[in-house]
Amino acid sequence: MKTIHIRQSFLGERSHELFTGVRIGVVGLGGGGSHIAQQSAYLGIGHFAFFDPDFLDFPNLNRTVGATLADANAKTPKVAVAERVVKSVNSDAEVWAIQTEWQKDFDSLRACDAVFGCLDGFSQRAQLEESCRRAMIPLIDIGMDVHKGDPYSISGQVVVSMPGLPCFRCVGFIRAKDLDEEGRRYGVAGGNPQVVWSNGVLASTAMGIFVQMLAPWCPIRSGSRFIGYDGDGFTLEHDSRLTVASQTQCTHFTSISDLGDPFWNP
Amino acid sequence: MATEGELRELDPLSGGAKEYVEFGLTYILLPALRLPNGCSPVAVDALLCLSQRDGYPTRLFFAQPVASKNGLNWNAQNVAILQRTWFAYSWNYVASGRPIEVLAQHLKALR
Amino acid sequence: MNVHFKLTVALLGGIVADLRRPHPFAAERAGFIGCKVSRCRDGLLVLAHTYMPLPDDWYADDQRFGCVFNSHAMRAAMQFALTNDASMFHVHLHDHKGFPWFSRPDIRESARYVPDFWNVKPMLPHGTLVLSADAAAGLCWYPEINKPIRISRITAVGFPIRFLGGSF
Repeated sequence: MKTIHIRQSFLGERSHELFTGVRIGVVGLGGGGSHIAQQSAYLGIGHFAFFDPDFLDFPNLNRTVGATLADANAKTPKVAVAERVVKSVNSDAEVWAIQTEWQKDFDSLRACDAVFGCLDGFSQRAQLEESCRRAMIPLIDIGMDVHKGDPYSISGQVVVSMPGLPCFRCVGFIRAKDLDEEGRRYGVAGGNPQVVWSNGVLASTAMGIFVQMLAPWCPIRSGSRFIGYDGDGFTLEHDSRLTVASQTQCTHFTSISDLGDPFWNP
Repeated sequence: MATEGELRELDPLSGGAKEYVEFGLTYILLPALRLPNGCSPVAVDALLCLSQRDGYPTRLFFAQPVASKNGLNWNAQNVAILQRTWFAYSWNYVASGRPIEVLAQHLKALR
Repeated sequence: MNVHFKLTVALLGGIVADLRRPHPFAAERAGFIGCKVSRCRDGLLVLAHTYMPLPDDWYADDQRFGCVFNSHAMRAAMQFALTNDASMFHVHLHDHKGFPWFSRPDIRESARYVPDFWNVKPMLPHGTLVLSADAAAGLCWYPEINKPIRISRITAVGFPIRFLGGSF
């Protein structure tokens, strides 16, 4: 174990080997994903696949961890910023910086051991979950919302989609009516207000859940698969919807034909 | 589920139409679907979704956006279905039914 | 080629529970796992979905070997492959801790029956796995490659994720 990781040795003798050997995918390197990239690097993760077609600009500088004024001026690709952050901590890390929509590089996504979804919109989340389930990849989704009102209100969630266990639809995180409403709207559902501190809380929680998946330091609590964030009261709680779904099998991803490549050709 | 006869009705427009089910939704893959006159490209892989999704009772997806005489609202971009990416214009209220008839209704948007 | 075999923790538990059941005369039990496959950037993914246990009377009583399955077993596995467009992986258990490996008879017999699956599904890889109490190993026969490929990584996906063999 490298000296820089000595303080996390309580995670087990094999933890460093595990972190070094896994590949994580981070889909979306904006407000949430940039935190994930940074923390993963510090943790000692050895292999990364970053997906984002977007680039730094002044409107997104307020929350993209690791980005600088120079990046906003130069319109540096977000994946390049994330790669730089990782390499500045671990020069041995392997980074696939994929500056395109994740849907254009399924091969790279499928090579991941776990994926963090840091996207806007239910349709994107549903598609990412379907692709991860096809490749039997655990997906940890994070997201925050600023609700317009008088006063404004901040909330968010961390939701885990683990193959074999209830999915986003099972726990009511993704609903048909949300997908329908989004589908009828023109263009993408992005551009929501975002702030760095809430993204930080959610990303850190997601990282903790990921570490527990890999190198649990205590018994895993089943409730830690759907965590709701109250950004006004600064609390994180297990979402009660998970309790309802936790006793049931997933009813959406059940068929053998939903695994693998439907157009397989050697 | 489309019958073999219903799939073969699609042959004049697309040879080798085949049905797939993904996560409970039914799709018919239409390799090199021949498009109406005036479209570019003239043929493109397409995917006819016969199930309700994203607020549409049925939908026709294309492997790439298609240029036509009409200005269409391509509001579905890079949609992952069956581990490929697809594009679709907004053309609503086409009820599910016999594939050839559903397809014809969707292709009206390109005429 | 890197071959990464994945199954859920729940499926693994069911397989091990079945393979641990005593048999009237066979020293070891076996089964077949129906899988789907997919390419990924650094190789091949084999994704396990269904476990086919072998009923007691699908074993042949041959004291030379720990486990011999009969033609009923092979027919059922072939039918599953055909019906579900599945890659088939034979599986058995060496119930000790630590990394397992195939015995010489395992390797010899696998080389004989695994390629038979190409009679029904010639475009798919097929193979064999051996589990231990806490690890696993496997071989994969890829279409048009005569020699089996050692499976690089075997992962049980769940809480926690368990890396059973290969690069960990």
